[in-house]
Amino acid sequence: MKYFVNVNGRPIEVEIVDRAGKTVVTIEGERADFSYEEVDHEGQVALVMDECGYAVSVAGKGNDYHVTLAGHAYAVEIEDERERAAHAAARDRGKGGGLVKAVMPGVVVELCVAEGDVVTEGQPLLILEAMKMQNEIGAPSEGRVKRILCNAGEAVSAGAKLVELEALPDA
Amino acid sequence: MFNKILIANRGEIALRVIRTAREQGIQTVAVYSEADACALHTRLADEAIALGGFMPSESYLDMDKILAAAKKTGAEAIHPGYGFLSENAEFARRVVKAGMAWIGPPPDAITQMGDKIVSRQIMKAANVPMVPGMTEPAADAAVARAAADEMGYPVMLKAAAGGGGKGIRIVHKPEELESAFKTASGEALAGFGDGRMYVERYLVNTRHIEIQVVFDAHGNGVHYGERECSMQRRHQKLVEECPSPAVSVAMREEMGAAALRAGAAVNYEGAGTVEFLASGDEFFFLEMNTRLQVEHPVTEMVTGIDLVWEQLRAAAGEQLGYGQDAIHMRGHSIEVRLNAEDPSNNYLPSIGTIGNVRIPGGPWVRFDSGIYPNMEVGLNYDPMLGKLIVWAPDRMQAIARMRRSLEELNIGGVRTSAVAGLAVMNDKGFQEGEFHTQYLEQMDLQEPASERDKVVAAATAMRRWKQANRAALSPRDADRLGWLARGRVGQASHPHIAGSTAGFSREGSRS
Repeated sequence: MKYFVNVNGRPIEVEIVDRAGKTVVTIEGERADFSYEEVDHEGQVALVMDECGYAVSVAGKGNDYHVTLAGHAYAVEIEDERERAAHAAARDRGKGGGLVKAVMPGVVVELCVAEGDVVTEGQPLLILEAMKMQNEIGAPSEGRVKRILCNAGEAVSAGAKLVELEALPDA
Repeated sequence: MFNKILIANRGEIALRVIRTAREQGIQTVAVYSEADACALHTRLADEAIALGGFMPSESYLDMDKILAAAKKTGAEAIHPGYGFLSENAEFARRVVKAGMAWIGPPPDAITQMGDKIVSRQIMKAANVPMVPGMTEPAADAAVARAAADEMGYPVMLKAAAGGGGKGIRIVHKPEELESAFKTASGEALAGFGDGRMYVERYLVNTRHIEIQVVFDAHGNGVHYGERECSMQRRHQKLVEECPSPAVSVAMREEMGAAALRAGAAVNYEGAGTVEFLASGDEFFFLEMNTRLQVEHPVTEMVTGIDLVWEQLRAAAGEQLGYGQDAIHMRGHSIEVRLNAEDPSNNYLPSIGTIGNVRIPGGPWVRFDSGIYPNMEVGLNYDPMLGKLIVWAPDRMQAIARMRRSLEELNIGGVRTSAVAGLAVMNDKGFQEGEFHTQYLEQMDLQEPASERDKVVAAATAMRRWKQANRAALSPRDADRLGWLARGRVGQASHPHIAGSTAGFSREGSRS
């Protein structure tokens, strides 16, 4: 199976196949000598690659993983060949715009935009107070504010829809 | 000395106090909220009294419940830790009135130092150096503007009753002042019930350096040198060290003497910290924290003094028993705070269930933390999970030791500030000792590309491949695992996290 892996935004291709009972791992076209043992059920992995040892933690499921290695943290997105095709098709359909959701529970302190506003990427949409801190929630991409789905002062749970953006017509 | 003390706190600081007490043969009483029924302080104290509730206001901030627990168990003294009720003069008075010892300074000293305006006046009279600024708080933006125009920009707006980085704004231009005043004052009003603001000159490229002091009840006091706390963001410290690479022996003596004057001016007793803003070899009084600090271990590592024990001795009325010449600083110590937050994503708070923990070890490595496997990290309490502290004969070796320890550490289930700590250790400016209070905010914490990326990619792909194979080979097993996973999700969602977030932690400040 071929995997398309994004490590902190950097694409790397990994292929894993079973050949006569032996697992063969190829990274960016180069075959690696590989030993992979899961230490527990929480994602601790003992990895020996080309006779170098690594203590890796691989947490997550589906397409998103959080990996730590030697104190460094990595946001990892992974797709296999089939998913890649399906996701690419889905992305084409939903180009630009989209929903901005609360990454964590909090209280909406202030709305910085109004419906109909045109926003640039990163422009603050609202301020969300969580864990005693006020956090600016920025626009993930440029677009127009289609709908605002929360009110100032409202407590929102993780995943709550906050603002809907729509794509700008092509200039 | 006391036979039994109650610790009115949770997490790593409750453990810290329990440890010293136990070593000295003092019985300990823990108090715990419903959320902390499994917490380490609940398990490790000799006695544990349930306070109930999930919110701090119904547990660690509830004076009546805590005093009742002390009475019930026959505790002779109360240690407040930091945050929560530690700087609450009313609670201190009530503890004393109930016939117990308060392991902290006299209530009047808390009140005087807790009010930024009053403390400034007292410090000025005690000849402690001050930053140019207002001696009276500004109630509205116009007054603040006039004062700022007079002292020159940039200025800092600070809540009269503030702390912990809330209600603070830096204003660079006159036209920015009014809106900054409004937001900061609003934050202060919501957080502390007092919207008055204080304006002072804002010094650039400053360092935050603080002096640890201990006074006994007989008028004796010593200082234990400085802590360098400039590596902070949004006024929350991340890395602390002792000694500071920017403090000479002469400057340390001057600062120490000023800190002792500050404490003496309010008849201080017990352990306290005088915070200074330093610029070059000048230093100015910021505030005094009338409690034990989060970062106290670096001082302990370098001086060999157990500060919690000194607190207990002072509260029990013992003589300090030694003078300034008995304090020697040896080697170098660094601490990294481990907060549940994501440094690569603007330090956004991170919640989850702790799993997959690997604690660093080896020589001169200290891990002060209250975490345990399956602990829920929610929003009700402070996000600090613990602290990693190292000691070495000199600063470069201490940096190397901290880097090595952070590479060994793994805390799964939540994102932590450990990666930011590692980035600081690897930073040239930090290694050369050239940094200031804005330095960390300007650091790029994105992980640079490296050969490790391939290892990460391969490990993730392998895990996915194994998961897919297991599911394919053993559908029944997969079903069972799926059922278990669903069951676990059900267990993990506490009612106070899953649904609304009606209330938020309003713990006392700490820095």
